[in-house]
Amino acid sequence: MAAITIENVGKTYAGGVPAVQGIDLNIRDGEFVVLVGPSGCGKSTLLRMIAGLEEITEGTVRIGDRVVNRLEPAERDIAMVFQNYALYPHMTVRQNLSYGLKNRGTPRDEIVRRVDEAARILEIGAYLDRKPRALSGGQRQRVAMGRAIVREPSAFLFDEPLSNLDAKLRVTMRGEIRTLQRRLGTTSVYVTHDQLEAMTMADRLVVLRQGRIEQVGTPLDVYRNPVSTFVAQFIGSPSMNLMSGTVRAGEVRVADAVYPAPGVPDGAVTVGLRPEDFALVPGGARAGMPARLVNIEELGSQRLGYFRVGGETVVASFPAGQVLSTEMTLYPDLSRLHLFGADERRIDPAPLRAGAV
Amino acid sequence: MQTKRTIFGNRWLPYLLLAPQLAVTVIFFLWPAGQAVWQSFLREDAFGLKTSFVGLSNYTRLFDNAEYINALKVTLVFSVSTAALALISSLLLALALDRTIRSSRVYTTLLVWPYAVAPAIAGVLWWFIFNPTIGIMPYLLERVGYDWNHALQKGDAMALVIIAAAWKQISYNFLFFVAGLQSIPASMREAAAIDGAGPVKRFWTITLPLLSPTTFFLLVVNVVYTMFDTFAVIDATTGGGPAQATMILVYKVYDDGFIGLNLGSSAAQSVILMGIVIALTIIQFRYVERRVTY
Repeated sequence: MAAITIENVGKTYAGGVPAVQGIDLNIRDGEFVVLVGPSGCGKSTLLRMIAGLEEITEGTVRIGDRVVNRLEPAERDIAMVFQNYALYPHMTVRQNLSYGLKNRGTPRDEIVRRVDEAARILEIGAYLDRKPRALSGGQRQRVAMGRAIVREPSAFLFDEPLSNLDAKLRVTMRGEIRTLQRRLGTTSVYVTHDQLEAMTMADRLVVLRQGRIEQVGTPLDVYRNPVSTFVAQFIGSPSMNLMSGTVRAGEVRVADAVYPAPGVPDGAVTVGLRPEDFALVPGGARAGMPARLVNIEELGSQRLGYFRVGGETVVASFPAGQVLSTEMTLYPDLSRLHLFGADERRIDPAPLRAGAV
Repeated sequence: MQTKRTIFGNRWLPYLLLAPQLAVTVIFFLWPAGQAVWQSFLREDAFGLKTSFVGLSNYTRLFDNAEYINALKVTLVFSVSTAALALISSLLLALALDRTIRSSRVYTTLLVWPYAVAPAIAGVLWWFIFNPTIGIMPYLLERVGYDWNHALQKGDAMALVIIAAAWKQISYNFLFFVAGLQSIPASMREAAAIDGAGPVKRFWTITLPLLSPTTFFLLVVNVVYTMFDTFAVIDATTGGGPAQATMILVYKVYDDGFIGLNLGSSAAQSVILMGIVIALTIIQFRYVERRVTY
């Protein structure tokens, strides 16, 4: 168990293509950190640099109090779960689990004890003598987890471990991994492109974009206060509605409605509103946006309405029974209104949050 | 495996399309093979005037013949050594290539060239290299105090044919090993690296077992190759000598039949060889395609 400290880490591939740049991140002991971002954002590269599978070209990575830049993967005291599980196909489950321990010269009875313990925790005791090809996707996933936990490493590294599973199993496994990690208290770094997985599993989220950290925070913090339009759209499903608006004299005009935006400099802005932050009845003195219903998606627990609002498409979610008609007025929750400047960065009109509701 | 089925409008068309291939197979393979089997039961007199049916006598005589037993032993040594040399050197080359990222295409192309060389040419090539009078290798070997002469020394002759035959086969094995290595997911080796296995340990415990289907397939192919396709190599280098030291079965078939004109015995030998190749083919299909998967 150890903290992982990443200081000014960068990776430049031969030919001068920067994959990851200027990453600073402190992962606390026992914390579950999720690196999330679209493909090509450098999240896997960063993870592989921590693992020692990619060379670190700039900065330092520390696991515990050791700088590990020059250490072999085996010497870093980490375990990794791969996307394709990377189980050794010619070995039985038991041999797969023991392999890492054997290589380290662990005594025989200690190996047996740890493998049996892992098998018990993961409920794979019945398949110990099978080969990986005789296992289902979920069972293979567990064996891959088992291979990580028998080693009792300082940190677990997960590289999109659930993306080969079907949707239902993914939900189950995500809960299991999280429960197991809490129980073992092992520091974990988890890479995924799935924002839902990131939201549900993380103690802290790290949103990456083009090799740089865009935002770090708890899932709710990132969800409620995205620092940029990129994060706003990436986190949350359906993603946040972004509409173009104009600020003049402390008020923002968007889709024929005017809302207070005290202290925000005049000019063009992007107005962000999450689908769940619309109401069909005015609360207080709020102005509404005239909207024309285009399409309805039924999700069972809720229904999503797709509207044309001032030339833009807006998604709003409502409770399952909500009646929707063609011409309606949408009233946004002003406490949840996000403003982004021309540089796509968040603008916080501080008084708005306190008083305007 | 699902194969695509084609429906023909005319029921004779598929037979017509198959006919050329079937004709080639029947005329150049089945018919001569049948003739060999028939001939192996016959014996001609010394002047070729009279042919009589002798049953299995040609076969029983073979196994009482010291020269034939010798040829069996020579074939065994030659096949196993050639296959081992060809497999090991091609695996080393493939491993080296697998570590090289840049210009691996160039290496692959160059390493495949020997396969395009006709066996007889390969034989002559090595015959020149090892020629006791003008060859470069005997010259170099003499400097380290070894007097190479494959025309006199049995061991030298065997070494020469093994090297020449193996060299021809390395390209073929190399291609299969490269493909085999590339089909091993990188994450497997990374997982093993994290599991604390060094490069050597990784090779023995992960790479080699995962290559075993390829290796077994190549082993069978190589043994078949050394038993049958090395005729030209032998003929161009040692001609089976000295003193029968490189007289492998397939060369003996030729030597007894076409030089010695003992057609019955030669036919019996080729039938035995045919039996061996059929056995090897069955092994290959039964085991390679099914059992040797991990």
